[in-house]
Parts: sequence; structure tokens; C-alpha cells
Amino acid sequence: MTTLTRQDLNFGQVVADILCEFLEVAIHLILYVREVYPSGIFQKKKKYNVPVQMSCHPELNQYIQDTLHCVKPLIEKNEAEKVVIVIMDKERHPVERFVFEISQPPLLSISSETLLSHVEQLLRAVILKISVCDAVLDNNPPGCTFTVLVHTREAATRNMEKIQVIKDFPWMVADEQEVHMQGSRLIPLKTMTSDLVKMQLYVEERAQKTS
Amino acid sequence: MDELYLDNIDEYIHDQNQIVTYKWLSLSLGVHVNLAKQMLYHYLDRCRKDGSKTPLHATYLVSGKCVQNGSLCHKVSVVREDKLEDMKTRMDPTISIHVYSIQKAEIKDSSTLYSTDYDAVRDNLKHCNKYSAIHCAAAVPMSPTELELIQEIQQTSSPEKVSKSGLTGHASVAKANVKKSQGIMGMFANKNTAKNQGSNIEVKLEKKDDAPSVETLESKPAGMASAVNNFFGKPTKKQDKCIKKEAESSAQSSTVESKHPKDAELPSKSDDVKEKALKDSKAKREKKDVRSKSKRPELTDSEDEKTESSNKKKRRRIKKPRSDSSDDDEAIADSPAKPTTVTTGSPESQVKEESLPTLEVFPEGKKRKRRRVLKSKTSVDEEGCIVTEKVYESESYSENDEVVTSQPKRSVLPVPGKKEEGRKSAKRQASNKSSKQVSIMGFFQKK
Repeated sequence: MTTLTRQDLNFGQVVADILCEFLEVAIHLILYVREVYPSGIFQKKKKYNVPVQMSCHPELNQYIQDTLHCVKPLIEKNEAEKVVIVIMDKERHPVERFVFEISQPPLLSISSETLLSHVEQLLRAVILKISVCDAVLDNNPPGCTFTVLVHTREAATRNMEKIQVIKDFPWMVADEQEVHMQGSRLIPLKTMTSDLVKMQLYVEERAQKTS
Repeated sequence: MDELYLDNIDEYIHDQNQIVTYKWLSLSLGVHVNLAKQMLYHYLDRCRKDGSKTPLHATYLVSGKCVQNGSLCHKVSVVREDKLEDMKTRMDPTISIHVYSIQKAEIKDSSTLYSTDYDAVRDNLKHCNKYSAIHCAAAVPMSPTELELIQEIQQTSSPEKVSKSGLTGHASVAKANVKKSQGIMGMFANKNTAKNQGSNIEVKLEKKDDAPSVETLESKPAGMASAVNNFFGKPTKKQDKCIKKEAESSAQSSTVESKHPKDAELPSKSDDVKEKALKDSKAKREKKDVRSKSKRPELTDSEDEKTESSNKKKRRRIKKPRSDSSDDDEAIADSPAKPTTVTTGSPESQVKEESLPTLEVFPEGKKRKRRRVLKSKTSVDEEGCIVTEKVYESESYSENDEVVTSQPKRSVLPVPGKKEEGRKSAKRQASNKSSKQVSIMGFFQKK
């Protein structure tokens, strides 16, 4: 049994890699399931040994990748508390928020190489839950868009503003309007606990979606 | 029948928002699959009669004979409830219908059904066929001595990295396993039993120690996958390949035979729909051709067995043209007009692996081959919309250009044969460099 600490950068990178890969798949799947984009742009691809729907629109893919590329350093340093995918209607009011709460244990003990397959199994379960989430959610109005918000601990974003991780891809402090939803109800979807990372996924849904 | 199961199903569906497939239910409750199907039916019936509060959605597995592409074939498909009647009218006769799954959410695509069963089967790997309707007396786990023998044979054959010797190696193992395989394969009234044995053996060699149980596992999810393939009339092939990979082959480099890219780390691994090309020299590649027939003769056994064989129907494979480039157009002659999805990477790596065996079999043959590859082309059309098309492109390549293979590069100099051939190779080499296939990693850029 190996014990690693938070300071072990390799460990942070490993977790960040895994999480960013997972978030990419999750974002694509949310866009598919919630019909933010027409299903024609989605293709089945394989991840964690199961088929998942991923978009093949190059600009959308690039946008998602750039977003996660910027989020990755925050996860590495365990500064990202939540990653939120907000779905907004035509008036830019959020109707749904898929919240991924991430926390990493300070001390880690790796038991054996089955760890990764165990994590994969947990992530598969989260993916499955996202696929069936439309049973518990109401339909969205047409013409929705999405955005990604990151809630960080303390003042980590100060560094982000100074350093542009990707050129011409700036991050801004989110509007109050995008962050908070009025009259929302909370629907938990899945909790995932592993040695590497703990993640909770829930959806905040506005009570009245169509105005 | 004890009525408690109804409460169980109710809890799974409503409280846990779980998709309850018959297979998952059978493994969860420890009952025979046929009993699980009946349970689901009764539950659904009761809910519909009670007019329950939340609407339930169900999928059904329908199998029967139907005419497809002008010929009679046995079709097994999983359909949503709203498409059930339509499917029933198309089949004549309808041999079996049963409830496949019940869930609260409306299923948009088949991958959720697959994912539901994946973990349940994985957890019960060693005895996943305990409640199954498929049985074979000859399917017993191999003894440790037999396993060692197989591993030794693999190790001796792998350094040569030649499919021919690989075939030989497998053939010798085949003799050991012929009896077992025949028992299983005898259940499928296939025309070419040799092919099936070949594939069966190949499948066995890619397994862990508990081979036959894993094989049953493979055939079962494969069967399920094939049924799910027809979900919206849009076949997808990746499910069975997923299970194969999951079997964690202990064989080192029977990758020569491996039909599936083993690199599971690539995040953008896509569905591997392979086009089948009917070639005369199929006999040489019969192992790979096993599942390439899209139509099988009528099968007489139970529905579960039929799902497995129809899985073999649905499996298609990219066939690298054996002879010259004029065969390119024939390459997809047999593929039905179903929409297919593929990426650039997976067929590329597979075809590369297959090319070496080809060249080995015809050592005096051409060193440059042409192949058809499905490529995605993104362009902007006249309305300003971005269009991604998948087109087949004939691409010429030579052995020397195949950098990304698991085999060591063969240092074969181009044989200075006829003048025409020499000129052709020179031309193609020039054009090949410009039309080099984009690596799959470019599609999903990772830092």
C-alpha cells in the first residue's frame, strides 16, 4: 500500500486527467440527453468500455476541450470545488444546472492496480445516471444554450485572470444571474466515492421552465 | 409466484430510477432469465391496469423471420413500445416477443441498455450464465495444464509476428479445443463450421483463465448487443467489442488476429463498423470472416442462440483488398444501405494489422496495397452549415509507411519487379505521403 500526499504532483495530475476526460464525456452526454443540440451531430463512441454519445461538431468539441483544458490546472491543485454545466433558455436565464461537486482526499492510499477499473466502474454508473436523468427532469424549452461555470475555493481565480491558459479563451467572473436560479428544486443524481476523488452530481432545476 | 418481486421491481424503477432489463433482474434476484421476463411482464401489466401515476416505458425484444434486402433472414431486435406493432407486422412469422426492459425514462439510444447490463454481468463474470437459457455440456473451464499449453504456444508463435504462423499456432490449439467448440458451434446451424471454430478458438485465446465462462459471457452480451443493434434501425457494432476488450486478454501478441484496437486509453474510440468485402480468398482469412456474413440461413434453435448468431450476422469487418486496386469498388458491395459510423483511427490500425498477414501469405506479391478507408470530411456547404461527411476513400499505402503497428517493421525492400509496378510504386509513394491518414489523436486533442 502506497500512501501519497496532496503534494505529490503526479497524483494531482492523474486525478485531473481522469476527471477532465470524464467531464468531457459528461458534458457531451448532457448536451445529448437534454437535447441542447440536435441529436444528429452526435455519434457513438466508446468510453469506459461502454458506448457514449459524443458530438462530432468541430467547433463545439474545441470549445469543450478548451474549457476543460483551463479547468484542469484548478483540479490538479484541488482548487475547483464545483464544475457546473448551466443550460439557459433564449433569454439567458438558467433553466437547469448540472452540478459536479468535486473533492479530493488530502491523503491517498493506493491499494492495487484494480483502482482504475474501480474508478471506471463508478464513472460508468454516473454516465448511466446522466443518461436516464430525463425521467426526473422536465423538458427544456427550445433554443437552449449552455455554459460551464467553475466554482473555485478561495481566490484561485485571481491567478487565472493573470495567466491566460489558452490564448483568446478568457474566463470571466460569472454574472449573478447565471449563478443563481430562482425557484429551483434540487434533484440528486449520483454520488461517487473512491480513493482518488469524491464526486457528487445533482441537478438544480427551475420550477417553471417555460415562461 | 411470490408477489414480493413486484415490490422489488417497483423499488428499482421508481425509487432508484434504474433501467430494469430482464438480464439485470435475473442477476440481481438470482432467477432464471425466463422467470425474469415473466416478472417484468406481470409488473408492466399490473401497472398499466392500475393506471399508475408515473408513465413507464418498456422495450421489447422481437424476433422473427423477415425479408431484408430481398432475402429471408432471421431478425432479432429490441424495439421501443411504440414501434412494437410496426415491427410485428414486418415479421412473418413472429417467433418470440418478450419484455426486454422497463424504465421511467424514455430511452433515446441503445447504449443505456447496454451499460445497464454491463456492470451486472461483469460482477457475475464467473457464473453469468447460471441463469441463462443457453447451455452447453461441453463448455467446461479449461484445466490449468491446458491453459499453460495454450500460453506456451502463444509465446512461441508471437515472436515471429506472422499471421501465418499465428494461424498455425491457433490451429494446433484448435485441435485441442475442437471438441469443445463443436459442442457450442453445433448449436448454430452455420454453413461453415470451420470458420466458426476458428473464430471460437480465436475468441478463446483472447481470454482469461476461466475461458469458457467468459466466452459465454461474450456470446451473451454479444447476443444482447446484436439485439440492441437494431434498436432504431441503426446498427452499432461496438457493444460486443467492448465486452471482448473487457475480457482482458492474457495473450500477449495475438494482436495479429485481434480485430479490436486494444488501446483503451484513447478517449475517442468510436464504433467499429467494418465493411465486409466478399473476396475469393476468404478462406485464408476465414477466422476474421466468421462474423462477416450479413445473412444467415434459418436457425432452428432458441431465441437466445439466435441472438448470438445474428450478432455474427451484424458483425462486419473492413477487408483490405487482396489483389489490385480495381477491387476497391467491390469492397463494399455487400454492405447493406445502413448508416455506419466509424473513425479514422480504428479501421486504420486494424487494417494495418491485417495487411501484414496478407503480405506474408503472398510473399512475392505487390508491396503496395490500396484500401478503402472511411474518412470524416468536414466542410462548409453553400448555406454556411458545417457538414461532416463520411466518405470512402481509396488510399494507397505500403508496408513501409505503416509506422503505427504492433509488429516490428519488416525490412523488405521493394522488389524491383516489372517496370510498371516500379513506376506505380514510385507514384503511389509520392501520393501516399500527401494523403497520409490523420491520426485519431488529432480528433480529440489531449494535452
